[in-house]
Amino acid sequence: MTDCMIEICGLTKMYKSKTAVRNADLKIYRGEIVGIIGRNGAGKSTLLKMIGGLVYPTSGELHFFNRAAAGEQSFFERMGVLIENPGLYPNVSAYENLNLLAMAYGLGDRNAAIEKLLQLVGLDSKNTAKVKSYSMGMRQRLGIAVALLGSPDVLILDEPINGLDPQGIVEIRQLILELNTAGLTILISSHILEELSKIATKYVIIHQGEFIEVLSREELQQRCEERIELGVEEARAALPVLERELNITKYKVVDSRTVYVYDENIHIRQIVKVLSEQGIMIDSIAKHKQSLEQYFLERTESAGERHD
Amino acid sequence: MINLLKMDLHRFGRNRMMYLLLLLFCAFQIFGIFMMKKYEQPVEGAIPVSRLTESEFIQYNISQPPSWMLIYIAVFTIYFYMSEFNSGFHKNYISMRNARLHSVCSKLIILAIFVAMMFLTMLIADGAGRRLFFDHTALGDLATLITLLIGQFLLHWAFSILILCIAMIAKNLLISLSAGFILALNVIGMVLAALEAQLTGIHLSKYLLINTLVRVKDFNSTADIVHTFGVAAAAILLFGILAVRYKLKEDLN
Repeated sequence: MTDCMIEICGLTKMYKSKTAVRNADLKIYRGEIVGIIGRNGAGKSTLLKMIGGLVYPTSGELHFFNRAAAGEQSFFERMGVLIENPGLYPNVSAYENLNLLAMAYGLGDRNAAIEKLLQLVGLDSKNTAKVKSYSMGMRQRLGIAVALLGSPDVLILDEPINGLDPQGIVEIRQLILELNTAGLTILISSHILEELSKIATKYVIIHQGEFIEVLSREELQQRCEERIELGVEEARAALPVLERELNITKYKVVDSRTVYVYDENIHIRQIVKVLSEQGIMIDSIAKHKQSLEQYFLERTESAGERHD
Repeated sequence: MINLLKMDLHRFGRNRMMYLLLLLFCAFQIFGIFMMKKYEQPVEGAIPVSRLTESEFIQYNISQPPSWMLIYIAVFTIYFYMSEFNSGFHKNYISMRNARLHSVCSKLIILAIFVAMMFLTMLIADGAGRRLFFDHTALGDLATLITLLIGQFLLHWAFSILILCIAMIAKNLLISLSAGFILALNVIGMVLAALEAQLTGIHLSKYLLINTLVRVKDFNSTADIVHTFGVAAAAILLFGILAVRYKLKEDLN
């Protein structure tokens, strides 16, 4: 994962006086699944559209494979894009939609490529029903098939599981993971954070057009992990006691007075007991557990307060 | 470019609206000839409509507002562009190299084909209608007819490109259709010509696209040929470049 595929430097998009995305910086490496998290209107779609070449940035730079994308349209050819609603002709079949696009790409064996893709997303290539009669889930699958036509290196999916039933969500998730295993780098935005947490390897939290946090899956897991937050007079004095008396090995020293204990088998009263016995003063102690949603809300609320 | 054109041609060939418009145009053209026969009134010193050659008949028809051919062209242009734009299908291929430029060029070629088909339909309908109701199918001087057809084809194609520009910029079916109807009725051209006559005495409005299109031309006069082809070429270039430039800079939201 050392291959930097996309680098965003100070990317900004303004619509008249409204700033949709402000000064965004991000590096995306080969094989990553980057989850973009943000409220409605946070700037997720605009960011993905800029990366996909649909919208021009007002300022900032996009680099693909360490080369500036400006003036190099060929880089955008390597992206498969599904942003907002799938772009499909409603009055023709799934096959015909793909056939039209395959013509535009100049694909040789169109029939084989289309049948393979439809099979991959779980749609029947013999189905002649018009797309307008498709369910939301079928449209989303077809949208993914459209994005995959032309064998892109990067797949950009904006809310791909919107409106899907639980079965559909599981199937799309599996498909995304399969595509990632096959080597695709994926950028995905979603409101369904728990679902995103099952696939993304990197998270970007965006709020009012600004990136407020970029963190890896491990970092997020650590932040959302159950822990005991311990405030003491002197962490240096407390640690040997905790290690010796309670065999605590999973902990993190946040600062000179704060320690996070990640050991699930330890109870607050045990810590209070051993530290009191050793005469170490406890300032505060509390159990802390956050879901991804809570974490996201906390981060966006604090960012909102900063803006206000 | 060729690939995008292939895609657009495939869509064009399967476009029911195109066939419907051609059929309607053909039917109304024949019906129009029937009505001309029924209500024909001889004017002293003028050749009756039923005795006009095909060249003269075409000029007579086009100069009668509203130009139905322009209305059909406007409807098709807007429908063909907006059906792709509203479905969002263009977003699937727009990231391809030079796709924005090629997409507009491909649309321009499709519009040229449609306009050519309209003229072909008109010739067939005129031939059938004049045969049936006038019992007169004389084409007149062939060179004049060909010059007229090429000149009118270019002017009508330029009009379709103008409508394409409007549809691209307005991004709205109703606004584009309204603008198309207003232009086809030549409201703007007539108002400008009237203002010009009242205020300045200069006659620049005759070089406007629709004014040139509806004006009865004498193709034996070099000045008229230069005027027709000059206006058509300038309009095709101007609106073509405008359409391409707009698409190149457009944010596809």
